[in-house]
Amino acid sequence: MERKLNAELWDKMHYLFRDYNDRMVHVELHYDFELDVDVLKTVLICFFEKAPVLHSSFKDNHVSPYWIVKPYRIDDILSVSYPTDVDSAVNDFLTQYIPPDSDIQMKVAVFFHDGKTTLCIVENHMCMDGGDFKYFLKAFCKNYNDYAERKISPIDLREGSRSYDQVYNDFSKTEQRMARNLYKNVSSKDNHKFPLTPDSIRDRSFIARRKISAEKLAQVKAAGKKHGATVNDMLLTAYFFSLYELANYNAYDSVTIACAIDLRRHLKDVSDEGLTNHTAWMQCNIPERGQTIFETLKYVVHSSNQFKQDKFMGLYGLPLLKLGYNILPHAASEEIIKIGYSNPLLAMSNIGILEVDKLALCGHEPTDGFMTGAVKYKPFVLLSATTLRNVVTLSMCVRGNDEDQKIVEHFFDLMEKNLDTLAQG
Amino acid sequence: MKSFIDYIEETFQGEKDDGTLYRYKRMVMDRMTERANEITHAGLQDEQVLYDLVVSEFPRLKENYKKFSAEERAKKREKFLNKFMIFGTVGLILALVIVYLAVSFLTDAWRSTWVIIVDGILAWVVFIMSVFIRRVSGMRRIFHPIARVLLGISVMCVTTVLFLISMAVLHLPNSWLIYPFGVTMIYVADAIYATVTKQKLRIINYLIYIPAAMPMLYVFLGALDIIPWHPGWLLMPLAVLIDLIIVFAKMMSNKKYKYKPEVDAAWNEN
Repeated sequence: MERKLNAELWDKMHYLFRDYNDRMVHVELHYDFELDVDVLKTVLICFFEKAPVLHSSFKDNHVSPYWIVKPYRIDDILSVSYPTDVDSAVNDFLTQYIPPDSDIQMKVAVFFHDGKTTLCIVENHMCMDGGDFKYFLKAFCKNYNDYAERKISPIDLREGSRSYDQVYNDFSKTEQRMARNLYKNVSSKDNHKFPLTPDSIRDRSFIARRKISAEKLAQVKAAGKKHGATVNDMLLTAYFFSLYELANYNAYDSVTIACAIDLRRHLKDVSDEGLTNHTAWMQCNIPERGQTIFETLKYVVHSSNQFKQDKFMGLYGLPLLKLGYNILPHAASEEIIKIGYSNPLLAMSNIGILEVDKLALCGHEPTDGFMTGAVKYKPFVLLSATTLRNVVTLSMCVRGNDEDQKIVEHFFDLMEKNLDTLAQG
Repeated sequence: MKSFIDYIEETFQGEKDDGTLYRYKRMVMDRMTERANEITHAGLQDEQVLYDLVVSEFPRLKENYKKFSAEERAKKREKFLNKFMIFGTVGLILALVIVYLAVSFLTDAWRSTWVIIVDGILAWVVFIMSVFIRRVSGMRRIFHPIARVLLGISVMCVTTVLFLISMAVLHLPNSWLIYPFGVTMIYVADAIYATVTKQKLRIINYLIYIPAAMPMLYVFLGALDIIPWHPGWLLMPLAVLIDLIIVFAKMMSNKKYKYKPEVDAAWNEN
């Protein structure tokens, strides 16, 4: 009999984002040994069985969409190869797109080269966000090790509800009622754009990346402490300042960058929750650029502190979305939500630290790697940041041309320059 | 290595088998085998992992058996009730005709005894509708309006039964007054249903029903001389006043759930 899964609110929202991005989440990890493909296959099959949404096809039903669980073979998910040009193979793999109506929603590639392994995974954001993807990777490595070293069956993956309203679980009854009444449209209304070229049929997806060294990060952290700023604030400040310069915004213009926030912050224990999305946007706004980058930093710290004081941070708008999807059939509610929702043109997602000890496979910690969000369609951009071995990888996934790639690279140059200035402050 | 049969048998060791347990074991075994086939098709080769994975999908077998057992009993009850309604209808009609003829011949009160047939059938209809109301109420909320309509019809049937007894058997004056009272009871029954089943926005039902039911109640009480016509009409403004009090109380209650974030200004800036 056909098994169906409920399409949760965030599944539908990410499906709606098809006009703005390709909805793929990417990860790349490098290991200095050759991992065991048979073990990998076993772990992957177990995880796919534990999280059936990963081998389900999204059915865009006009009344109420749903997932249909599909049969699969491990070879549909995992590809193993020995490429001569690893970078090119990795890039080709990571920039692929998995359609939501495909039978599987995650693809894994293993590239062997010179006795080393590059592990790449691409998954549909509709299934889970960066927060749960990080958990997935850690659970994957733990289960891989347990199975490879002690023959313990790799079935230790969280299972449970994927519903958006799990975020209210740890609130008191009164707080729950308050949070469920936060009917507010919190979409960004800023029209400042990243200066990319106009859309073209020849555009292709690319992932631009830049590393910030561990030494530089330490300096940035120390400088941030002096100003009462977090690393996130420092990165955001450099982002703002670089944008004013790159796009020639008027220095007195107010600019907003949407920052992804993990709504799991409202949960004490997530052990009985399924893999899902719990991410919202926080609109970080500065009234003007400021005379110096430190003035910009002051504005950023002020703005982010305001949000941090809010006990319902990120929960605004959820009841409105729920209402939108509840009162009308899916096709109609999508149109209504599109009218009220404006996707942020400028966004940042600090995915955080990829802990090498938890991502170690049979005692081999990853030597390098990063995780990044979806490939955005112009004019939308998302700057992702991940930290591995104290090295920050900034990345931007864009569907564009060579000129766009140059613009993004120039933006990273400016980011580096501005982070240098901040580090000296 | 243990088999799925071992796992099932070990779990239910010592459990009394009355046939239901066998059916449950069979069902679990079939599902486990089906899952094992699916996973093997995906490419899993390690039998121990396959066993652990499938067994992990069937935890708490004993607890689930209790639920299965309860569901089986409920299904049996439902089947019995369905049969009872089908054969009971035929039986009831026969019984009513016999009782009607017997009472009529014995008392020679042909002018009143027809009430036995009509009221008997109406009472049976109310019983059948109550079964459907219960079933529909157990379904998704989208179907609850059907139950509410059936509830209204049931109340009206009961009202008719009472009216016929009052008029044709007891020959009470002002028997018609039972109808305005019945209309009031429809509102009351629906409000109770909305409350018990925790319908969303049920407060709107209350706010409409109170002023709608009050004129009926006024006619009923006034005609029975329980309250005078004047100033009994004050029941109508009283209904509006009750509505206002409910709205005010609700607003006061909601006020404590209103959250005013300190970042309100920041949102507005955007």
